[in-house]
Amino acid sequence: MLAVSSLLAGSMVPQSSAAPGQEASPPVTQAAYVPKDKDERGLWMMADEEERQLRTSNFVIRDPAINAYVRDVLCRTIGQAECAPIRLYVVRTPYFNATSAPNGMIQVWSGLFLRVRNEAQLAAVLAHEYVHYRDRHFLLLWRELRARAGSATFLSMFGLIGSLVAMGQLSTVFSFSRDQESAADSGAVYMLANAGYDTRESALVWGQIRDEADATAAARQAKSRKDKNGGIFATHPPTADRMTALFALSEKVKANGEPVNGVDRYHAMLATLWPSLIDDQIKLNDLGATEFLLASLAGGTWTADLLYARGETYRARGAAGDFEKAAGFYREAMAQAPANPEVRRGLGLSLLRLDSADEGREQLKEYLRLKPDAVDAPMIRMLAGG
Amino acid sequence: MPTVAAAQERHAVRPGFAYPKDREVKIVVFRPDVRVGTLTAGGLDEPNADWTATARTLIAAEIERAHGVQGATVSFVGEPEGEDGVRLAQYRALFGAVADAIMIHRLFVGNRLQSKKEGLDWTLGEGVSALADATGADYGLFLFTHDAYGSSGRKAAQIFGAMFGVAVIPGIHVGYAGLIDLKTGDVIWLNADPQMGGDVRTPEGAQKRVGQLLDGLPGRPVEAPATAKRN
Amino acid sequence: MIRRILSFAAAAALLLAPQSATAGWKAIAQGKPIAVAKTGLTVTAPSGVWNRWSLRPSKKSELWTKDGLALNELAFYSGVTSGEPIFREVDKKNSPLPKFNSKMLAPDVVALFEASNRIALKTSLFSVDSVEPAQFVGQPGVRFTFTYSVQNNDLVRKGEARAAVLRGQLYMITFIAPSIYYFDNGIADARAIMDSAVLLPVAAK
Repeated sequence: MLAVSSLLAGSMVPQSSAAPGQEASPPVTQAAYVPKDKDERGLWMMADEEERQLRTSNFVIRDPAINAYVRDVLCRTIGQAECAPIRLYVVRTPYFNATSAPNGMIQVWSGLFLRVRNEAQLAAVLAHEYVHYRDRHFLLLWRELRARAGSATFLSMFGLIGSLVAMGQLSTVFSFSRDQESAADSGAVYMLANAGYDTRESALVWGQIRDEADATAAARQAKSRKDKNGGIFATHPPTADRMTALFALSEKVKANGEPVNGVDRYHAMLATLWPSLIDDQIKLNDLGATEFLLASLAGGTWTADLLYARGETYRARGAAGDFEKAAGFYREAMAQAPANPEVRRGLGLSLLRLDSADEGREQLKEYLRLKPDAVDAPMIRMLAGG
Repeated sequence: MPTVAAAQERHAVRPGFAYPKDREVKIVVFRPDVRVGTLTAGGLDEPNADWTATARTLIAAEIERAHGVQGATVSFVGEPEGEDGVRLAQYRALFGAVADAIMIHRLFVGNRLQSKKEGLDWTLGEGVSALADATGADYGLFLFTHDAYGSSGRKAAQIFGAMFGVAVIPGIHVGYAGLIDLKTGDVIWLNADPQMGGDVRTPEGAQKRVGQLLDGLPGRPVEAPATAKRN
Repeated sequence: MIRRILSFAAAAALLLAPQSATAGWKAIAQGKPIAVAKTGLTVTAPSGVWNRWSLRPSKKSELWTKDGLALNELAFYSGVTSGEPIFREVDKKNSPLPKFNSKMLAPDVVALFEASNRIALKTSLFSVDSVEPAQFVGQPGVRFTFTYSVQNNDLVRKGEARAAVLRGQLYMITFIAPSIYYFDNGIADARAIMDSAVLLPVAAK
């Protein structure tokens, strides 16, 4: 994954990626940009190979409406001419991240759509990735890394002292990368303002991500990893610092006129995608984060879909008291959507675990009546007592 | 090298295989997966597009020039689009998995499966005939090479490293190639080498590499000594 | 669980370090009862094409293959108890695996298997295609089928499993292979092995 720079690296994403550098802001090229030297051509080649694979990958979400919407937000934010050479891919990966590659490929992970709350936040992420590409951050980072890594090996051959020196050499690379992230963050704020978005949303994203980390930890009775970013070896600045810097900048840089956050449009476009993304999230065995995300999607209004998801989350964990909670959520969902078969299934299976077998079997029978061709119908029929 | 050579065989051929004699068979070469870069002193595998493009061209030209497969014509196909593209991608992935299995369980002697110690009994299945239909070929050849040459910084590190008793791998030169019967899916021949020779950035090197990659391919003259002389 | 992402890099590393990687493979005798994972789970193979790996992914599991794990993998899970995951934890801090519970119903076991795979393989492309009652180790159990892919690889894999909970412990056999050719090629054998599974008392040590 070296060919790609990403929105964040660290505790909340199981796989971390390397990241980019700042300075040098070349004028936006109207004609298609071509890589200039050996290093850049090499990086483009690797990115092209990765993109070649994406073209046939079944991980890419190809829904035309979703793709058109994300592209529209990108183009509206960075400018129509600037977005022309960019290729966007929505990738089915249930975590919060987006990545850009030196050749102009931007990938948005599906988990991001559960975590940004409005169009302005989506725009902030897309603009951040675009700045990495425009300013050729990866190329600069690559050169820095190569120069430093070379002397790091060299020095590490000379025992402990040499190794410590080597680590010092490398930590400057990581700080270089963190500077690039900050540059991309602030570059994105200016673009948000130009496009009329509320610039504060760029900072609010990070508050949400930190709160989610707290929620994960609380449910696991562990220490929150929100401030874990790898110390001097982190490629990205601590989220707390990013948030603070973004709030400060968004006080100074504001849209002309009344800023928008586009929350209604965002919800209208993505609501159809959410159920499958929530299903991916539930199966991550992270009850704290799932509860947090469901509550934020609900925003105080628990729909049948969200209540069902909540029931599934507790039923999947199955700790003491979880089946009672799950049954409660399914019942609330059922009140709103009595014809939803999945709600009946969840309720029925919960009740069987709660030794309310008779009612459980009735619910499972109702599930089979509503969805006779379900993939698990033969199994459920047996549990329902024939 | 000596221990590796002792524990590992470079290629394997399906026992008793021979090309049909009643006609000239057609072998199609799928887009070779070629990557060339530099292994820097720090251990980074740095991509080099110019070298890769050069190597891809040279390797293709060399296969074209000197494939020398007796009783067969060799041709190249580009990347197909649409459904054919998806199918080829799936078979390329399956070939990768099969090649891995053969490397791990056949070429590496110490890890052989007891149930298939002898011969070369792996296949992609009969469904591969869809590729025969799409290309009109009897056999398909998949090629993979990945090189990372030691940069000058790394060569210095090797010298110093050797002095201090530290092993530094001089570079990555891995490659494998496989011939598939596009009617039956059977793997006819597989050749793999984690430490290949030949600087694929030069015509002479590409010649040597292609010679090594295709070493043992049925229908090719035995030529190991000749390549050594050529380089 | 050792994963099916034996990439070329891994293969190359193995070739370069033959001395250190002397994992042994033993042929499974045809028609002879074999105790799996040093437990009472005992199966009989209908043909002499299977090999068992001396390296076991965990104390309670064992792997067999015909042509290589990437091409056909028969995995045995024997006696998983409440509170244990079915695979070995790899990243417990960030991505803990869900745990088995002896009270689980058949659909819960299927969900446990699905979530464990999604986490271990870091994939969201995993679907359960059928779930039905079936006998296993002489018990009423479950048979289910599934399909998945992992990222950066175009290969689609299919699987079929049989599982049952007996005396509060989970017993399961899964067969996984590429959907092209290998699944169809191996499933009859795999089913015969699943059918043959019995639980025998373990001899005192």
